[in-house]
Amino acid sequence: MFITNYIKNVFGAVKSLAVGMKRTGYYFTHHKEIITEQYPDNRDTLVLADRFKGEVVMPHNENNEHRCTGCTACELACPNGTIKVVTKFDITPEGKKKKAVDKLVYHLELCTMCNLCVVACPSDAIKMAPTFEHSVFDRSQLTKVLNQPGSKIMDGVE
Amino acid sequence: MDGSTIIFYILAALTLGSGLLAVTTRQIFRSAIYLLFSLIGIAGLYFWMNYDFIAAVQIVVYVGGIVVLIIFSIFLTHQTGEKLPSPTLSRQLFAALAVFCGAALILVQLYHFQYTGTTETALEPNVNNIGMQMLSTDVGGYALPFEVVSILLLAALVGCIVIALRTKPQTN
Amino acid sequence: MLSFSQIASDVDQWLHKVCSPTWALVFEMVIIGVSVIGLFAVLGLVLVLMERRVAAWMQIRLGPNRVGPQGLLQSLADTLKLLVKEGMTPGGSDKFLFNLAPFIAMIAAMLLMAPIAFASNFQIWNINIGVLYVSAVSSLSVIGILMAGWASNNKYSLMGAMRSGAQIVSYELSAGLSILTIVVLSGNLGLNDIVLSQKDGWWIFKGHIPAIIAFIIFMIAVTAETNRAPFDLAEAESELTAGFHTEYSGMKFALFFLAEYINVFIVCAIGATLFLGGWMPFHIGNLEGFNHVMDYIPSSIWFFGKTFFLIFLIMWFRWTFPRLRIDQLLNLEWKYLLPISMFNIILVTVVAIMKWYF
Repeated sequence: MFITNYIKNVFGAVKSLAVGMKRTGYYFTHHKEIITEQYPDNRDTLVLADRFKGEVVMPHNENNEHRCTGCTACELACPNGTIKVVTKFDITPEGKKKKAVDKLVYHLELCTMCNLCVVACPSDAIKMAPTFEHSVFDRSQLTKVLNQPGSKIMDGVE
Repeated sequence: MDGSTIIFYILAALTLGSGLLAVTTRQIFRSAIYLLFSLIGIAGLYFWMNYDFIAAVQIVVYVGGIVVLIIFSIFLTHQTGEKLPSPTLSRQLFAALAVFCGAALILVQLYHFQYTGTTETALEPNVNNIGMQMLSTDVGGYALPFEVVSILLLAALVGCIVIALRTKPQTN
Repeated sequence: MLSFSQIASDVDQWLHKVCSPTWALVFEMVIIGVSVIGLFAVLGLVLVLMERRVAAWMQIRLGPNRVGPQGLLQSLADTLKLLVKEGMTPGGSDKFLFNLAPFIAMIAAMLLMAPIAFASNFQIWNINIGVLYVSAVSSLSVIGILMAGWASNNKYSLMGAMRSGAQIVSYELSAGLSILTIVVLSGNLGLNDIVLSQKDGWWIFKGHIPAIIAFIIFMIAVTAETNRAPFDLAEAESELTAGFHTEYSGMKFALFFLAEYINVFIVCAIGATLFLGGWMPFHIGNLEGFNHVMDYIPSSIWFFGKTFFLIFLIMWFRWTFPRLRIDQLLNLEWKYLLPISMFNIILVTVVAIMKWYF
């Protein structure tokens, strides 16, 4: 029936609009739920989301050891040439030559935080850190070496 | 010369001046805008004469309706910055002749009209009186013309719908 | 007691004492003009800040809170920025019309101030066809928008102007019809007379069902007429960058912006006058004691309170609903609002003839 449909339409529309207005009205009257971060003022108490991706870092333990084997999987995975792995050959105690990382060069200014390098890494050597205050005066300062000087690979990581 | 006269001359100058500009300008959109100012000037004259209702209707019908329609048709058919070609000599001559004849007719009529005074008090031009007069069936009432005009408008509306109606494609 | 009408009549008497009636009239006109412009400036500042705060709180944000205490000076700072910005005129535009358009929009908004009754006995022009005057002059504002759209020589502007024209012309019908319901009920066109007819209760209560339907339709139609979301197709940032005022900058843009807020204020003032009793305090029938208490609150506070309540309602619409598409917009008007308001007119005529209102 046309008329009943028409009236049903009108009342349905008014009802659905009222539902939306109820939601915004609730937010309007409940100021405790405000999610704005007053950023520079609350720098000390700022809580970032767990999955926030700001920069690629390589964690080191207290003995200045990392987990990077220098396999260049991250360099191959990177879509825009952000990571450059410089490798060297270490001599193992058995006298064999073994490939290891010399410098893992990371161009922050090119990085899109796509997380592909972290996914590609077979030994979980790199991860995304939740830092975001990256502004510097010179672009060259954004080119970083991720492995700390004098660091070496952790035992048991192949 | 008191304030009221000054206001009358300002309104008359606005009406005539923008009317003149409307027919002389070579840009069609500007022409429509000058026409708008001319019509607003006429509405101002009605306000000046305290015929508030007629003035408001003038604005509703001419400014809100007709000029907007004219502007819409300009939007759909012209481009910004385009200038119209100036009319040919024969057209200008005919236009001048038509204007002369019209002006002569009106002036002759005005000259011969006997402006006789009346002692009757004027009817207050408020909405109540206008409504009563418009729908009265007494002598001098406007019920019949009003209805005839509405039938004309209805016919125009039906005509518009018939023209705009999309004929259903034959399903064979 | 200090009231607006008292101040106005004092000024009037003083002017008539010190100079001739003609000059007194001229001075009064100047005073009115200056105070209307002052009201515009204050309203612009207040409404922009209010809109930003309401928007922020509805979207779980804080809103402006840096400039001045609680961010109260934010809109003042914005005004300063707009004042010192260059007002550019694009190369291929029709320069005369381009520069004229913002003023047309502004003047139309200014003219609409005339018949509004701000407080008891305080009105710029007590014209006996107030409602008709308002609906007539509000059709002028579309001219400013069309002019801006055409003169900019820009596709987005032209499309915005055309959408706005189609929208305003069609929504004027249902706004006019819903205004007519109250005219039928009160039997008057003057805004002050309509306010006086609500002495024993506002029309939205006295006129029950038809008045409530008319009020809802009126609010929807005026939201569309002032080009505000969810009917902001004329601006539609995501489709047309800014619609008809894409090419405007600096103070010329500010005039359009201001005209929009003034129009919102005016339509809300008209809505408050027609449905919520304007400056009339909240009276319940013949309850003498209660009515007497309510009379102690000044009439101007009642008027501005109701107007700002309606403005808040329109802002609430804006920050809740998504934008309509143009076909949905025209469907809503021609298939829903217009038939319903025509039916409502018949209903209200029956109610008025049978005296079924309270």
